[in-house]
Amino acid sequence: MFHKVLIILSSALTVASAIGVLVTKDIVRACIFLFFSLFGVAGIYASLGADFVAVTQIMVYVGGVVILMLFAVMLTGGPGKESAGSKGYLLIPMMGNKITFGFGIFSGLVLLLTMAKITKSVIASVTISEVEGFASTVERIGSLLVSEHVLAFEISSILLLGALVGAAMIARPRKNV
Amino acid sequence: MNSTVANYFSEFESYQKMVDWLSGIAGFDTATLVMVVVISLMAFIVINAMMLVGGLGTYAERKISADLQARIGPNRVGPYGILQFLADGLKMTMKEDVTPAKADKVLFNLAPFLSLFGIFGTLAVLPISSGLALSHLNVGVFFLIAISSIVGIGIFLGGYASNSKWSMLGGMRGASQIVSYEIPVTLSVLSIVLLAGSLNFKVIVGGQTGMPTGWFIFHNPFSFMAFFVYSIAALAEANRAPFDLPEAESELVSGYHTEYTGMKFGIFALAEYIEVFVLASVAAAMFLGGYNVPFHLGGDGIIGQVLQLGAFVTKSLLIYYVVIWIRWTFPRLRADQLMVVCWKYLTPIAIFNLVGSAVWLYAFKGQSILQLVLHSGGSSAGGH
Repeated sequence: MFHKVLIILSSALTVASAIGVLVTKDIVRACIFLFFSLFGVAGIYASLGADFVAVTQIMVYVGGVVILMLFAVMLTGGPGKESAGSKGYLLIPMMGNKITFGFGIFSGLVLLLTMAKITKSVIASVTISEVEGFASTVERIGSLLVSEHVLAFEISSILLLGALVGAAMIARPRKNV
Repeated sequence: MNSTVANYFSEFESYQKMVDWLSGIAGFDTATLVMVVVISLMAFIVINAMMLVGGLGTYAERKISADLQARIGPNRVGPYGILQFLADGLKMTMKEDVTPAKADKVLFNLAPFLSLFGIFGTLAVLPISSGLALSHLNVGVFFLIAISSIVGIGIFLGGYASNSKWSMLGGMRGASQIVSYEIPVTLSVLSIVLLAGSLNFKVIVGGQTGMPTGWFIFHNPFSFMAFFVYSIAALAEANRAPFDLPEAESELVSGYHTEYTGMKFGIFALAEYIEVFVLASVAAAMFLGGYNVPFHLGGDGIIGQVLQLGAFVTKSLLIYYVVIWIRWTFPRLRADQLMVVCWKYLTPIAIFNLVGSAVWLYAFKGQSILQLVLHSGGSSAGGH
């Protein structure tokens, strides 16, 4: 009962904020809506008993990615007010006209209904079960990361190292240019 | 194991009787409902207590700074001026609530509350005692570090939404400082997590003793260093002097809260003072034995819990005093010096500490330096 309430609240927050991201014209406000949306996802994880994943969600996305986005907006000169027209999409280049938008919405609907038809049986059989007491997930994730999934773990660390070296290369002052 | 304050209370018989009685009246199992009510009540109490700590923090700041500068400080409102913070709060609520004309009004009003939200989130895992803490999560330390990064978003938004150059610079400085200094804080906390073998505050504090001989700060040379790395980086994370560049009054008027008036400014100030207390109490819990009472006085009952609370608050407030003392002693760093201190000194030292702690654990099987000394002394005396 309590878990269901939590899941419903988190889902409502996620979906409502996601809609907010799409509807708002101001990019900084979109970032803040994204913040709430990601927070809602963390809430869903937490109420399903995946505590470590929930906190990682907050750590990486809420505390990291959103701040990074805000920095990017700030360092590129703030939101450009002139790029959006009165209806938001009119002045965005390469976004088509009313016919292409109508066609896009139509094909999206068809895709959605097809997906709903395919996954209907799966969704109908899902029941949200009460979480059976919490067991510590941290040790299990830790031992899995360095045993079965060690390759993925190491490859992602190489990726991060590459990003770090690349950032340092771009940011370093060029003396002999 | 995850446990909450409701788990602690449910060990008492009267709690079970009350739940049974309520279930009999309501006609369904009210255990979950009672749990939610108990946790909400405790959260209410803890948040109000922390508001009081934050309020008294401003008084302590003024009184201690006066003491260090051979002044008298506030002494008019109440005995020794201790009600000064209430008078300040009243003044702030009665001030006109000004929003700049060109500001982004929604974000402007949201920013102080985001700051406060991040701080209140950390209170959920604050280990105030073994039973009365709101919750002991398996991922407690991780949660605390993650949720406190929301404060950075609040500060950044406050700076951005004000549409003022001072605020903007302050917000940029604040966010970059918080993001940078999170790394040494997390790495030095990790070296303690390694010693305790858990992210749960209950296990971390339980691994220490009431007497200083069992504290993690004296466990090995690396944890001793980690304490100082943590202290310096935590000062910077809370935007406290000598790292108070985001609100450097001689350069940026008042930094990210230049344009805020009335209680919204008050909320920023409150969030800062509570954050200092939270970071001080994390230092107390991770390095200085936390809520452990010497000789395990009082046991695990209610009296023991109150004693544990006392030990915890005493240690935290002592660190709080040192934080204020530092503010009124050291001059402010420059922005480039700030980044040099973080990336060229603190982060490498913190990584070295982490590796050193791991090697120590492997080489000496988790014994503290004191155990090693005593053991070698005992064995030589025994003639082995």
